[in-house]
Amino acid sequence: MKFYLCIDDTDNLDSIGTGTIAEQIQEKIIHQGYGPCSLVTRHQLFIHEDIPYTSHNSSMCFFCEAPKDALTAIINLAANHLDTVAAVGSDPGLCVLAYDESCHYDELMEFGINAKKKILTKDDAMVCVQDNQLHLSEHGGTGQGIIGALAGVGLRLFGYDGEIKGALKSVMLNQTYSVADLKKLPEVNQVINLTTKEPLADTTPINMYNRSKTVLYQNEYVLFVKKDENHQYATLPKAEIRKLGDHFYV
Amino acid sequence: MSDQQQLSSEAWEKGQSIALSCPEFKPDVEEEWLAEESVSCYNCRYRRFVGSGIRCMKSLFNS
Repeated sequence: MKFYLCIDDTDNLDSIGTGTIAEQIQEKIIHQGYGPCSLVTRHQLFIHEDIPYTSHNSSMCFFCEAPKDALTAIINLAANHLDTVAAVGSDPGLCVLAYDESCHYDELMEFGINAKKKILTKDDAMVCVQDNQLHLSEHGGTGQGIIGALAGVGLRLFGYDGEIKGALKSVMLNQTYSVADLKKLPEVNQVINLTTKEPLADTTPINMYNRSKTVLYQNEYVLFVKKDENHQYATLPKAEIRKLGDHFYV
Repeated sequence: MSDQQQLSSEAWEKGQSIALSCPEFKPDVEEEWLAEESVSCYNCRYRRFVGSGIRCMKSLFNS
Protein backbone atom coordinates (compact mmCIF):
# COMPACT_ATOMS: atom_id res chain seq x y z
CA MET A 1 0.00 0.00 0.00
CA LYS A 2 1.13 3.56 -0.65
CA PHE A 3 1.40 6.00 2.30
CA TYR A 4 1.83 9.75 1.93
CA LEU A 5 3.63 11.49 4.80
CA CYS A 6 4.14 15.22 5.24
CA ILE A 7 5.59 17.37 8.02
CA ASP A 8 5.62 21.11 8.54
CA ASP A 9 6.80 23.81 10.90
CA THR A 10 9.65 21.98 12.63
CA ASP A 11 12.17 24.81 12.38
CA ASN A 12 13.78 27.50 14.41
CA LEU A 13 16.87 29.57 13.60
CA ASP A 14 19.29 26.78 14.48
CA SER A 15 17.44 23.66 13.33
CA ILE A 16 18.49 21.15 10.67
CA GLY A 17 15.56 21.87 8.37
CA THR A 18 12.22 20.20 7.79
CA GLY A 19 13.51 18.45 4.67
CA THR A 20 16.30 16.73 6.56
CA ILE A 21 13.85 15.62 9.25
CA ALA A 22 11.65 14.14 6.51
CA GLU A 23 14.65 12.20 5.18
CA GLN A 24 15.45 10.96 8.69
CA ILE A 25 11.89 9.62 8.97
CA GLN A 26 12.39 7.89 5.61
CA GLU A 27 15.54 6.22 6.92
CA LYS A 28 13.66 4.93 9.96
CA ILE A 29 10.85 3.60 7.77
CA ILE A 30 13.35 1.74 5.61
CA HIS A 31 15.18 0.48 8.73
CA GLN A 32 11.88 -1.09 9.82
CA GLY A 33 11.85 -3.07 6.58
CA TYR A 34 9.31 -0.93 4.72
CA GLY A 35 9.76 1.01 1.51
CA PRO A 36 10.86 2.01 -1.03
CA CYS A 37 10.28 5.72 -0.42
CA SER A 38 9.97 8.50 -2.98
CA LEU A 39 12.15 11.59 -3.02
CA VAL A 40 11.07 14.41 -0.72
CA THR A 41 9.20 17.35 -2.26
CA ARG A 42 9.17 20.87 -0.85
CA HIS A 43 5.81 22.62 -1.16
CA GLN A 44 5.78 26.41 -0.95
CA LEU A 45 2.72 27.69 0.92
CA PHE A 46 1.15 31.13 1.15
CA ILE A 47 3.43 33.94 2.27
CA HIS A 48 1.55 36.45 4.38
CA GLU A 49 2.31 38.62 7.38
CA ASP A 50 -0.44 36.93 9.39
CA ILE A 51 0.93 33.39 8.93
CA PRO A 52 3.50 32.46 11.57
CA TYR A 53 6.61 30.88 10.04
CA THR A 54 10.36 31.15 10.49
CA SER A 55 11.43 32.38 7.09
CA HIS A 56 9.85 30.52 4.19
CA ASN A 57 6.59 28.63 4.99
CA SER A 58 7.04 25.33 3.19
CA SER A 59 6.19 21.73 4.00
CA MET A 60 8.00 18.49 3.08
CA CYS A 61 6.25 15.41 1.70
CA PHE A 62 7.07 11.93 0.41
CA PHE A 63 5.33 8.62 -0.12
CA CYS A 64 6.41 5.09 0.67
CA GLU A 65 5.27 1.55 0.12
CA ALA A 66 4.41 -0.56 3.15
CA PRO A 67 1.90 -3.26 4.13
CA LYS A 68 -1.54 -1.93 5.04
CA ASP A 69 -1.14 -3.03 8.65
CA ALA A 70 2.03 -0.90 8.99
CA LEU A 71 0.02 2.34 9.13
CA THR A 72 0.05 2.64 12.93
CA ALA A 73 3.74 1.78 13.14
CA ILE A 74 4.63 4.41 10.52
CA ILE A 75 2.54 7.09 12.26
CA ASN A 76 4.12 6.28 15.65
CA LEU A 77 7.62 6.23 14.19
CA ALA A 78 7.18 9.61 12.50
CA ALA A 79 5.44 11.16 15.52
CA ASN A 80 8.15 9.99 17.92
CA HIS A 81 10.85 11.31 15.63
CA LEU A 82 9.13 14.69 15.35
CA ASP A 83 8.74 14.86 19.13
CA THR A 84 12.45 14.13 19.49
CA VAL A 85 14.02 16.40 16.88
CA ALA A 86 11.60 19.27 16.21
CA ALA A 87 13.10 22.58 17.21
CA VAL A 88 12.24 24.47 20.37
CA GLY A 89 9.69 27.14 19.56
CA SER A 90 8.39 25.38 16.46
CA ASP A 91 4.80 24.26 15.90
CA PRO A 92 5.16 20.89 14.15
CA GLY A 93 2.40 19.01 12.38
CA LEU A 94 2.29 15.52 10.87
CA CYS A 95 -0.06 14.19 8.21
CA VAL A 96 -0.18 10.55 7.03
CA LEU A 97 -2.55 9.27 4.37
CA ALA A 98 -3.05 5.60 3.51
CA TYR A 99 -3.74 5.98 -0.19
CA ASP A 100 -6.85 4.34 -1.58
CA GLU A 101 -7.01 4.18 -5.38
CA SER A 102 -10.79 4.22 -5.29
CA CYS A 103 -10.84 7.68 -3.64
CA HIS A 104 -10.52 10.94 -5.56
CA TYR A 105 -9.14 13.25 -2.84
CA ASP A 106 -10.47 16.31 -4.67
CA GLU A 107 -11.14 18.16 -1.42
CA LEU A 108 -7.68 17.36 -0.09
CA MET A 109 -6.01 18.61 -3.28
CA GLU A 110 -8.18 21.74 -3.15
CA PHE A 111 -7.03 22.33 0.43
CA GLY A 112 -3.41 22.17 -0.73
CA ILE A 113 -4.02 24.51 -3.65
CA ASN A 114 -5.82 26.98 -1.36
CA ALA A 115 -2.95 26.85 1.15
CA LYS A 116 -0.75 28.40 -1.55
CA LYS A 117 -2.97 31.42 -2.03
CA LYS A 118 -4.89 32.20 1.15
CA ILE A 119 -4.83 31.92 4.93
CA LEU A 120 -6.27 28.66 6.23
CA THR A 121 -6.94 27.74 9.84
CA LYS A 122 -6.58 24.63 11.99
CA ASP A 123 -10.38 24.37 11.94
CA ASP A 124 -10.29 24.30 8.12
CA ALA A 125 -7.77 21.46 8.35
CA MET A 126 -9.85 19.45 10.82
CA VAL A 127 -12.91 19.66 8.56
CA CYS A 128 -10.85 18.36 5.64
CA VAL A 129 -9.45 15.52 7.78
CA GLN A 130 -12.88 14.29 8.84
CA ASP A 131 -13.93 14.03 5.20
CA ASN A 132 -10.78 12.22 4.04
CA GLN A 133 -9.98 9.66 6.76
CA LEU A 134 -6.34 10.51 7.40
CA HIS A 135 -4.02 10.99 10.34
CA LEU A 136 -3.23 14.57 11.38
CA SER A 137 -1.43 15.37 14.62
CA GLU A 138 0.13 18.32 16.42
CA HIS A 139 3.56 17.93 18.01
CA GLY A 140 4.07 20.92 20.23
CA GLY A 141 3.76 24.68 20.19
CA THR A 142 0.58 25.94 18.64
CA GLY A 143 0.31 22.91 16.37
CA GLN A 144 -0.19 25.23 13.41
CA GLY A 145 2.02 22.91 11.37
CA ILE A 146 -0.96 20.61 10.78
CA ILE A 147 -2.20 23.09 8.17
CA GLY A 148 0.95 22.87 6.06
CA ALA A 149 1.31 19.12 6.63
CA LEU A 150 -2.19 18.49 5.33
CA ALA A 151 -1.67 20.91 2.44
CA GLY A 152 1.58 19.16 1.49
CA VAL A 153 -0.16 15.81 1.11
CA GLY A 154 -2.86 17.46 -0.99
CA LEU A 155 -0.30 19.13 -3.23
CA ARG A 156 1.75 15.95 -3.65
CA LEU A 157 -1.42 14.10 -4.68
CA PHE A 158 -2.21 16.95 -7.06
CA GLY A 159 1.10 16.21 -8.79
CA TYR A 160 1.87 19.69 -10.13
CA ASP A 161 3.68 21.30 -7.20
CA GLY A 162 6.90 21.04 -5.26
CA GLU A 163 10.66 21.23 -5.68
CA ILE A 164 12.61 18.00 -5.30
CA LYS A 165 14.83 18.20 -2.22
CA GLY A 166 18.52 17.83 -3.02
CA ALA A 167 17.93 17.75 -6.76
CA LEU A 168 20.86 18.25 -9.16
CA LYS A 169 23.48 18.51 -6.40
CA SER A 170 25.75 16.15 -8.32
CA VAL A 171 25.53 18.17 -11.53
CA MET A 172 28.45 20.47 -12.38
CA LEU A 173 27.54 24.09 -13.03
CA ASN A 174 28.32 25.56 -16.46
CA GLN A 175 28.64 22.09 -18.02
CA THR A 176 26.55 20.58 -20.80
CA TYR A 177 24.69 17.30 -20.26
CA SER A 178 22.51 15.29 -22.61
CA VAL A 179 18.90 14.71 -21.60
CA ALA A 180 19.74 10.99 -21.42
CA ASP A 181 22.52 11.64 -18.91
CA LEU A 182 20.28 13.84 -16.79
CA LYS A 183 17.55 11.19 -16.82
CA LYS A 184 19.98 8.77 -15.19
CA LEU A 185 19.65 10.85 -12.02
CA PRO A 186 16.88 9.68 -9.66
CA GLU A 187 15.51 13.22 -9.45
CA VAL A 188 15.00 13.58 -13.23
CA ASN A 189 12.26 11.64 -15.06
CA GLN A 190 11.79 14.15 -17.88
CA VAL A 191 13.44 17.26 -19.27
CA ILE A 192 10.70 19.53 -20.59
CA ASN A 193 10.69 22.68 -22.69
CA LEU A 194 8.98 25.22 -20.43
CA THR A 195 7.52 27.11 -23.39
CA THR A 196 5.94 24.20 -25.25
CA LYS A 197 5.63 21.78 -22.30
CA GLU A 198 7.01 19.07 -24.62
CA PRO A 199 9.59 16.52 -23.38
CA LEU A 200 12.97 16.82 -25.08
CA ALA A 201 14.71 13.98 -26.91
CA ASP A 202 17.41 12.07 -25.08
CA THR A 203 20.14 13.44 -27.37
CA THR A 204 19.29 17.11 -26.68
CA PRO A 205 22.17 18.99 -24.98
CA ILE A 206 21.27 21.03 -21.88
CA ASN A 207 23.48 23.82 -20.53
CA MET A 208 23.48 23.79 -16.73
CA TYR A 209 23.97 27.50 -16.14
CA ASN A 210 22.65 27.74 -12.60
CA ARG A 211 21.53 26.01 -9.39
CA SER A 212 18.28 24.78 -10.86
CA LYS A 213 15.83 22.34 -9.31
CA THR A 214 13.59 19.61 -10.60
CA VAL A 215 9.92 19.85 -9.71
CA LEU A 216 6.86 17.66 -9.50
CA TYR A 217 4.90 18.09 -12.74
CA GLN A 218 2.31 15.62 -14.02
CA ASN A 219 3.41 13.43 -11.08
CA GLU A 220 6.94 13.15 -12.50
CA TYR A 221 10.26 14.70 -11.52
CA VAL A 222 10.79 17.29 -14.23
CA LEU A 223 13.66 19.59 -15.16
CA PHE A 224 12.24 22.62 -16.96
CA VAL A 225 14.53 24.28 -19.50
CA LYS A 226 14.19 26.97 -22.12
CA LYS A 227 16.22 28.23 -25.07
CA ASP A 228 18.91 30.80 -24.35
CA GLU A 229 20.08 33.61 -26.62
CA ASN A 230 22.14 31.07 -28.59
CA HIS A 231 19.02 28.95 -29.17
CA GLN A 232 20.39 26.19 -26.96
CA TYR A 233 18.46 24.71 -24.09
CA ALA A 234 19.48 25.90 -20.63
CA THR A 235 18.31 25.50 -17.05
CA LEU A 236 16.32 28.15 -15.19
CA PRO A 237 17.54 29.79 -11.99
CA LYS A 238 15.94 28.54 -8.80
CA ALA A 239 14.21 31.86 -8.20
CA GLU A 240 12.38 31.51 -11.52
CA ILE A 241 11.44 27.91 -10.70
CA ARG A 242 10.08 29.07 -7.33
CA LYS A 243 8.02 31.79 -8.99
CA LEU A 244 6.61 29.37 -11.57
CA GLY A 245 5.61 27.10 -8.71
CA ASP A 246 3.14 29.73 -7.51
CA HIS A 247 1.08 28.87 -10.59
CA PHE A 248 1.87 25.15 -10.93
CA TYR A 249 4.38 25.69 -13.76
CA VAL A 250 1.81 26.86 -16.29
CA MET B 1 20.40 44.85 4.97
CA SER B 2 19.58 46.71 8.17
CA ASP B 3 17.20 45.12 10.61
CA GLN B 4 13.57 45.43 9.56
CA GLN B 5 14.62 46.81 6.17
CA GLN B 6 13.36 45.29 3.00
CA LEU B 7 14.90 44.19 -0.29
CA SER B 8 12.74 43.93 -3.37
CA SER B 9 12.49 40.57 -5.11
CA GLU B 10 15.41 39.75 -7.39
CA ALA B 11 17.80 42.45 -6.17
CA TRP B 12 20.44 39.74 -6.40
CA GLU B 13 23.58 41.87 -6.56
CA LYS B 14 22.48 44.04 -3.67
CA GLY B 15 21.53 40.97 -1.62
CA GLN B 16 24.96 39.49 -2.15
CA SER B 17 26.90 42.64 -1.44
CA ILE B 18 24.97 43.35 1.78
CA ALA B 19 25.34 39.76 3.02
CA LEU B 20 29.08 39.68 2.29
CA SER B 21 29.61 42.54 4.70
CA CYS B 22 26.97 41.52 7.24
CA PRO B 23 28.37 40.06 10.49
CA GLU B 24 24.99 38.50 11.26
CA PHE B 25 24.62 36.54 8.00
CA LYS B 26 23.59 32.97 8.73
CA PRO B 27 22.91 30.58 5.83
CA ASP B 28 19.54 28.83 5.77
CA VAL B 29 19.37 25.12 4.89
CA GLU B 30 20.21 24.58 1.21
CA GLU B 31 16.70 23.70 0.07
CA GLU B 32 15.56 27.15 1.18
CA TRP B 33 18.19 29.04 -0.80
CA LEU B 34 16.91 31.25 -3.57
CA ALA B 35 19.90 33.24 -4.82
CA GLU B 36 22.60 31.71 -6.99
CA GLU B 37 25.25 33.17 -4.71
CA SER B 38 25.64 31.20 -1.47
CA VAL B 39 26.19 34.30 0.63
CA SER B 40 23.16 36.46 0.00
CA CYS B 41 20.39 38.03 2.06
CA TYR B 42 18.01 35.84 0.03
CA ASN B 43 19.66 32.71 1.51
CA CYS B 44 19.90 33.97 5.09
CA ARG B 45 17.99 32.48 8.02
CA TYR B 46 17.12 35.94 9.24
CA ARG B 47 15.25 36.90 6.08
CA ARG B 48 11.57 36.57 5.87
CA PHE B 49 9.73 36.55 2.59
CA VAL B 50 7.07 39.20 2.30
CA GLY B 51 4.81 39.97 -0.62
CA SER B 52 7.24 42.21 -2.44
CA GLY B 53 10.60 40.73 -1.48
CA ILE B 54 12.43 39.89 1.73
CA ARG B 55 12.80 41.59 5.08
CA CYS B 56 15.61 41.26 7.60
CA MET B 57 14.24 40.07 10.95
CA LYS B 58 17.53 39.96 12.81
CA SER B 59 16.44 42.55 15.36
CA LEU B 60 13.69 40.21 16.58
CA PHE B 61 16.30 37.66 17.59
CA ASN B 62 18.70 39.92 19.46
CA SER B 63 19.09 38.67 23.01
